[in-house]
Amino acid sequence: MNGLNASSDLPRLLTRRHFFGRMSAGIGAAALASVMNPDLFASPAGGILPGVHFTPKVKRVIWLFMSGGPSHIDLFDYKPGLKQHHGEQLPGSIRMGQRLTGMTSGQTSFPCVAPMFEWKQHGRSGLWLSELLPNMGRVADDLCVVRSMWTEAINHDPAVTYIQTGHQQAGRPALGSWLSYGIGSENRQLPGFVVMISQGSGNKTDQPLSTRYWGSGFLPGEHQGVRFRSQGDPVLYLSNPPGLEDNGRRRMLDAAGQLNSMAADAFGDPEINARIAQYEMAYRMQASVPELTDLSGESAATLAAYGVRKDGVDGGFARNCLLARRMVERGVRFVQLFHRGWDQHGDLPRQIRGQCQDVDRPSAALIEDLRQRGLLEDTLVIWGGEFGRTVYSQGSLTKDNHGRDHHGRCFTVLMAGAGVKAGFSYGTTDDYCYNIVENPVHVHDLNATLLHLMGIDHTRLTFKFQGRQFRLTDIHGEVVRAILS
Amino acid sequence: MGNRVLMRFRSWLAALIAPVVLTVDGADTKRVSFNRDVRPLLSEYCLNCHGFDDKTRKGGLRLDQREDALRGGKSGHAAILPGKSLESEIVRRILTTDPDEVMPPPKMDRPLTAAQIDLLKRWVDQGAEYEPHWAFMPPATPPLPEVRKKDWARGPLDLFVLANMEKEGLEPRPEADRPTLIRRATLDLTGLPPTPEEIDAFLSDGSSEAYERVVDRLLASSRYGERMAVDWLDAARYADTHGYHIDSARDMTAWRDGVIRAFNDNQPYDQFTLEQLAGDLLPEATLDQKVASGFNRNHMITYEGGAIADEYHTAYIVDRINTTATVWLGLTVACAQCHDHKYDPITMKDYYGLYAIFNGVPENGLDGRHGNAVPIVQLPSPQQDAERRRLETAVATAEARLKVELPNLDTDQQAWESKAIADADAPKEATDKKPKLPEAVLAALKAERSARTAEQAAAVRKHYLDEISPEMRRLREEAKAARKAKDDFERAIPNAMVMGEMAKPRDTYVLVRGQYDKKGDKVDRALPAALPGLPEGSQANRLGLARWLVAKDHPLTSRVTVNRFWQMYFGNGLVKSAENFGTQGDLPTNPELLDWLATEFVRTGWDVKAFQKRILMSATYRQDSRAPRSLYERDPENRWLARGPRVRLQAEFLRDLALSVSGLMDPRIGGAAVFPYQPSGLWEELMSRSDNDSFTAQKYVPSRGADLYRRTMYTFIKRTSPHPSLSNFDAPDRQVCTVRRPRTNTPLQALALMNDPTYVEAARQLAARVLQERKDPKARIERLFRLAVGRSPSAAETKVLVDLQRDQQTAFAQKPENARSVLAVGEYTQVFDDPVEAASWTVVASTVLNLDETITKN
Repeated sequence: MNGLNASSDLPRLLTRRHFFGRMSAGIGAAALASVMNPDLFASPAGGILPGVHFTPKVKRVIWLFMSGGPSHIDLFDYKPGLKQHHGEQLPGSIRMGQRLTGMTSGQTSFPCVAPMFEWKQHGRSGLWLSELLPNMGRVADDLCVVRSMWTEAINHDPAVTYIQTGHQQAGRPALGSWLSYGIGSENRQLPGFVVMISQGSGNKTDQPLSTRYWGSGFLPGEHQGVRFRSQGDPVLYLSNPPGLEDNGRRRMLDAAGQLNSMAADAFGDPEINARIAQYEMAYRMQASVPELTDLSGESAATLAAYGVRKDGVDGGFARNCLLARRMVERGVRFVQLFHRGWDQHGDLPRQIRGQCQDVDRPSAALIEDLRQRGLLEDTLVIWGGEFGRTVYSQGSLTKDNHGRDHHGRCFTVLMAGAGVKAGFSYGTTDDYCYNIVENPVHVHDLNATLLHLMGIDHTRLTFKFQGRQFRLTDIHGEVVRAILS
Repeated sequence: MGNRVLMRFRSWLAALIAPVVLTVDGADTKRVSFNRDVRPLLSEYCLNCHGFDDKTRKGGLRLDQREDALRGGKSGHAAILPGKSLESEIVRRILTTDPDEVMPPPKMDRPLTAAQIDLLKRWVDQGAEYEPHWAFMPPATPPLPEVRKKDWARGPLDLFVLANMEKEGLEPRPEADRPTLIRRATLDLTGLPPTPEEIDAFLSDGSSEAYERVVDRLLASSRYGERMAVDWLDAARYADTHGYHIDSARDMTAWRDGVIRAFNDNQPYDQFTLEQLAGDLLPEATLDQKVASGFNRNHMITYEGGAIADEYHTAYIVDRINTTATVWLGLTVACAQCHDHKYDPITMKDYYGLYAIFNGVPENGLDGRHGNAVPIVQLPSPQQDAERRRLETAVATAEARLKVELPNLDTDQQAWESKAIADADAPKEATDKKPKLPEAVLAALKAERSARTAEQAAAVRKHYLDEISPEMRRLREEAKAARKAKDDFERAIPNAMVMGEMAKPRDTYVLVRGQYDKKGDKVDRALPAALPGLPEGSQANRLGLARWLVAKDHPLTSRVTVNRFWQMYFGNGLVKSAENFGTQGDLPTNPELLDWLATEFVRTGWDVKAFQKRILMSATYRQDSRAPRSLYERDPENRWLARGPRVRLQAEFLRDLALSVSGLMDPRIGGAAVFPYQPSGLWEELMSRSDNDSFTAQKYVPSRGADLYRRTMYTFIKRTSPHPSLSNFDAPDRQVCTVRRPRTNTPLQALALMNDPTYVEAARQLAARVLQERKDPKARIERLFRLAVGRSPSAAETKVLVDLQRDQQTAFAQKPENARSVLAVGEYTQVFDDPVEAASWTVVASTVLNLDETITKN
């Protein structure tokens, strides 16, 4: 398996086919033929890796990213004993002098808060979930619950950058970009890495997002996530200008193609042929993307299961979940949703209820829908944020209100689908949901595991930049074998 | 670099590599070159465990230095026995099949190929000579090479290129035709296409200096400074927002405009370096020099709620070190933030020596909420300066009035006292609504005036002045208003973030594993010990660092700089890894040419324009890029330069071309950033909703009028959501230093060029222009072509577009409402007599703007 380590060396890039875009400056005749002839792309390929390292259990990933840091304490990590400590100061033996964010480091009082919600057990596995997630309870036996995630980052910007790119500071490619770079796309009329954003009803002062979270860093720009939007064109500049109909566009592309072909003959530069091919692909996208985002073919039952409003004006999470299913059906390799509003510094009981109402039904519906369509067998769904929240109250604790600050020492991530154990829980936190006592899973470990499931050894998907072989997991990361099915 | 310094540098080299072999016998093709062949192998496969970093070294064996390799590691076996490959441990361990012994270890899963092993064996057999890494040796002017094709070269540059070509068995292409040449030169030096009039002037100039005159004209154009600045802004990670989290606005436009001016004034690159890195420290620094020092304030800055100031202050300094090292040294020093560099001679201690140099800026770890972060310099216009002084005087006057004793103070106070005592004695209900007097004041009031202690009298007086006296309240309010007026005015005065030095710099410590809160040994300001020392008379501070970088014999700065210039023209540098000249970087394709260019650049006083002219005047640059396809296939990246450069225009110049040929472009240089068309909601979807109203740069409000058509380099750069016309075409998001852009070719680019209102509007205006300037369809197409690609179309090309126009005319005639819609795109209003005809020509113009030849420098 020598030669798996890719480098920034262009000729080596050019010897391999790439689907959605390519580096400029020359294209081999074979590659050109494949761009021109869709059939050649039926076989899985297109990335820098000549083949995957292991047989992949997962072909596609949908990551429902809960931006802001959902409270693991209130939703997933059931500690009945916390009730006894409610209102008590967090013991020093638990906090152990760990650093706090600037938002609570000045607090003089750190009263523990037990969740103000009821808990229920679900499924054969007897998974405990907050009453706020009744629909998720239905898919309890599909879930692989990791309660021992952790991160060093304690603020949003570095924490999201970290879990997405393996580094707290800007400049590295996101997971989806690494996948696009490594193994390309299955569908040449759609991008291999799609991002969709929705607004939660919880924290109205929700956290900003950055295109860095799906950026390609030092990888070529064609690997950056393509944002599918709910307003305007789903993909930027997809629609022809008003007044230019499809036959006009076709006629123009034919003329441009003729002129470009003449130029290709005159200059000898194969890049011109590649340009022709990319224009043709753009034209095909003008049909394939609207087909993808048109939900009119979905049954009323499906729309109701996800909770998508029939008038189609709902730009929220439910619609994005349904679109995610439509994307993986069409071979989009990595779909990442960002749902905002999980930053409950105050007014947590009310806000988290709203957040759960946003996501509970669609998340469960997505897993069930994928299962019914047989897609869950090779699709992995991930649900979680950048960190958890503190057991102690941020601000004052009243009878029915409180907040929680950011907490990186432990948090919960859910997975469901291909490659992971179903109805399974992993990792244990202490009685205060504060420290991990068993089986810690770092964000690097999560990323290593995701790559492993996609058939990639995380230590061997590398890119040489600034004289160093970079990889998603930096110099860290262990595959969490215990959760693999 | 003085002699003493050179001696020190050489002694380091001598310690690193015992016998120095500077030349390789070219006649013996079997002769293995350490730098070309062996070092990459060692670097790739061995040095991670047997290199410079003693903390990760395995078996006590070091292979980066000959002496150590000959001695061997803990095992006692010599790793290398010169002349005896099969007895050398290094070869034996590679060849063995014993999984416990074989190298590299099986778990790395990276065995050497047979060819690589053969190379290593031959190198050992030939004596295992080491060479110093080429880029750490000062460049020397190389002798001119012998070439066979004697009549081609126009200067030494071409001789070096041709010698390489001849070694490869390649022939140079003939000179490009004049329309191609002037378009190439104009795009390269100004980022804009030539006008048909400029092309005609060149075509009709029969003198032998015609081309040189074009080049001189372009170098003198103020567009040249804009073009050169764009690449510098990438390197400087220049942007209009802070980059982290809320990502609100900053204003470094004064710094950006200074860069444009510096290029236009042809400031020598050594002086430019001093000002960019340490303009504030120059003796009697001018305001412009202070502003220039803002280069290293362009990094991202945060004020995220809850963030820890020390953590981010560390991140800023790390960014400065990495950026400075990339831009001037062409070295990646970031590794040494956490451990000694594994490949290049940069220790962790070196890294923190540099850290100390950048650690004296009077700045905050968390800052930027209200625009620029301190330290800043204000940049008032003369009028603003006068107004500010007037407001300062007003504040001083108002504050002075507060200190003057009021007339009738005693009488007024007594009147109040009587009333206050009466109130205090009144029934409770009546006083409930009045503010209560403090106990001490009440007690004092109840005493007879004459019986009050001095303390009591003062308390009553103070209470009266602070809380009661209407005159004092009025004066206080006047003073407050004056201060507010002054503060508000000052906030509106433009300013720029600059570097500065604290009177007493912070202490600097080695940070264990690079972590901001794990302080190790204290370190002093210092330069990397393995590179040349400070020039005579310089201190180890930022100014000393800058002087050191441009010292005459510095091995890296000149090479790294000319390589970046080269890359602008030919798509790739002579060293392809423009950001890394270290041992892990790419080797130069033409080391002699690189050294010749570097030494010439220094010899001519770091004259930037002269350097560009040298490239543009060369036969190498002037070659035709039309070539047999076999040549493109053999050398897709044009490493051997046997044809002219042909690369897609970079993001900024693509849009500039459309604006320019359509006549929409607003020519103003510099000033505030602008907001061209952008699909609505792109920012707002990502921004925190409540912050929309609390922070700047959260809502995208498109510019109106001329600002919509400024050159693209003035587009407001929001780091967390860059403008799609930039990010779609490989412009970096300016979060970190970038000295090399990728060039991709994607369907999203095609969609943008066809459908982005910017391009649709430009196509319409281009159509309007040719409709007005020419009457005959063929003449119009001729005009379109000359505007967009600089040449006239062939008959076949003309026919394609004539047919297209005719078909579109027919189509729009059937649906005139479509014609009106096409013509309505964009803010600029243009009235057409015949909308159907205009729409059909808009489609033709759009087709031409989308041609590969149009968007490419040919």
